[in-house]
Amino acid sequence: MGHWREQTPAVWETVVTPCDCCGQVVAKRLWIVEVDGGERRFCSSECEDLYREYVLPRKTADR
Amino acid sequence: MIDPVTLAVVNNAFVNICREMGITMIRTAFSPIFNEGLDFSCVLFDRRGNMIGQAEFCPAQIAASLFIVRWTLEELGVDSFEPGDVVLHNDPYRGGAHIPEHAVIRPVFHEEQLFGFVANVGHLAEIGGKAVGSFAADATEVFQEGLRIPPVKIVKRDVNDMDLWRLIMANHRTPRNTWGDINAQIGSLRVAERRVIELLDRFGRDFIDSAAEELMDYSERWMRAEIEAIPDGAYAFTERMEDDGVVDEPVTFHVTVTVKGDELIVDWTGTDPQVRGPINATYGVTAGATYNAVFHLTDHHIPKNSGAYRPIRIIAPPGSAVNVVYPGPSVGGNTETHPKLADMVIAALAPALPDRVAAAEGGTACNFLFGGIHPKTGDYYANYHLEGGGWGAKSYDDGNDAIIVKNGNCRNTPVEIFETRFPLRVVEYSLIEGSGGPGRMRGGLGTRRILRVQEGAEVTCNALFDRTKEGFGAFGLEGGGTGGRGAILVKRKGETEFRTFSEVFGTTSSSKFTNIMLTGGDEVLIHSPGGGGYGDPRDRERERVARDLFERFVTPEQARAVYGWDGA
Repeated sequence: MGHWREQTPAVWETVVTPCDCCGQVVAKRLWIVEVDGGERRFCSSECEDLYREYVLPRKTADR
Repeated sequence: MIDPVTLAVVNNAFVNICREMGITMIRTAFSPIFNEGLDFSCVLFDRRGNMIGQAEFCPAQIAASLFIVRWTLEELGVDSFEPGDVVLHNDPYRGGAHIPEHAVIRPVFHEEQLFGFVANVGHLAEIGGKAVGSFAADATEVFQEGLRIPPVKIVKRDVNDMDLWRLIMANHRTPRNTWGDINAQIGSLRVAERRVIELLDRFGRDFIDSAAEELMDYSERWMRAEIEAIPDGAYAFTERMEDDGVVDEPVTFHVTVTVKGDELIVDWTGTDPQVRGPINATYGVTAGATYNAVFHLTDHHIPKNSGAYRPIRIIAPPGSAVNVVYPGPSVGGNTETHPKLADMVIAALAPALPDRVAAAEGGTACNFLFGGIHPKTGDYYANYHLEGGGWGAKSYDDGNDAIIVKNGNCRNTPVEIFETRFPLRVVEYSLIEGSGGPGRMRGGLGTRRILRVQEGAEVTCNALFDRTKEGFGAFGLEGGGTGGRGAILVKRKGETEFRTFSEVFGTTSSSKFTNIMLTGGDEVLIHSPGGGGYGDPRDRERERVARDLFERFVTPEQARAVYGWDGA
């Protein structure tokens, strides 16, 4: 089960965070989920679903 | 549920508001890139950041506006907007397409309640950085490409923030044009705001809210039906770009399009890592190219709003050439990479949709930027010149000639305007015989233009071209041939032959270079590439070959050797 994490960058932090699935940059809130023992940051729960259904099986097949 | 006729009326009202914004831009902007080139887009959004209306503008900017507006609302907060505010934003890492494109966004309030937003995205012809025209073809980081502006309020409650304006003016080479052009953008927002309020007064706010929702759902259903008609499967395609402007090596792009029921997953995994030079695409560019391709392949009557985009999922790995990360450069990603990415999605789906696809287009905007002190006025000038090339052939027709790349939907600048504004003369402008890729349907023709620097003038120029090397021409489909290559060459005053800029000035890339000084009498030759052909050229109807010969669209040698023409 994931949770939302608010980003509060300092004024000098001008680098943005991309979604671990689609690559889209996230402005304020990251959807945080643990996958395979590691933290994944997504732009939405829909991207978590896409990651589990599409990206992960391909990564596993490539290994 | 709203009846279809009324829904169509509301949709057309949204579209016409965007069109009227465009007319305002054309009539009030200072720079030819806006009032002649139409390198801007006008879009309407609801208060949640959903696009509810757009018109026939620049596909790349329209798609980027989806991310720019959503990002801005999230970063600043919807509640931070007051009537009369205008946010300015050109950050390529915050949804933008590339740094010259400046978005202005204004809230629309009706009876003291926020209804939505109006936005205008426009390509400013000069925003500072290391190269005049802010198209540094050898940039290795964003700071060389111009002044980067995160979402900031440049107008607060209809009062300009002059401190911010002065900061921007001090960093642009042609600040008067910046003032005129951004104010033209802001003016278009005021026109749109007025029209949206008239629409709300006429129909009522609740009704327009409902109509916008229904229109988005309608577009989504229509798009899903279009996708569902494509056979399920995974379709892949690979394409290369000749170099990145800094390292003289090809860059490889790869896409896999998965059709799964009524959804598309467009996955760019397999593309090369982010490169040193500025042909990297931002996420907004890659998403825009993907949407652009899908809209080319589906029914063009689908109302273009956020609903139409919902069934399309995009994966663009950060740190790759399709999703540049800070501080990588990206100014050429919009003009050079977008059209190739769009053509890749189209070509990947060729086995499934043979009668809807097209071969590759010229795929380069032939970006030629120049500036300096005008010898007649003593003022600094700068211009962004782009050139149309040949588009790809389809199964049912030849490709179009001399059309700006499909990310832009822009126009070229008329010779009369060009020569009035800038100290160069157009010596020749013509179609290039034989430049269309051969095929049963022939690729569109590229163009040849020769510019001569006026006596007494000094012109600093930059170029960002592609498809100039052997093996990198626009690909054909189903046995169609490759389109003719592009070129940018120079002939110094008194010389008789055109040569590459690498030969004359020692630039690393002959198609991408920065800050070359030309003087009176020097000439620049621009060849835009031709489009790819479709089908076996020997199957081309004889009447079409005869007409091509008569029009000098193909050479007699091509007609004989490639098309099998025997004069009959």
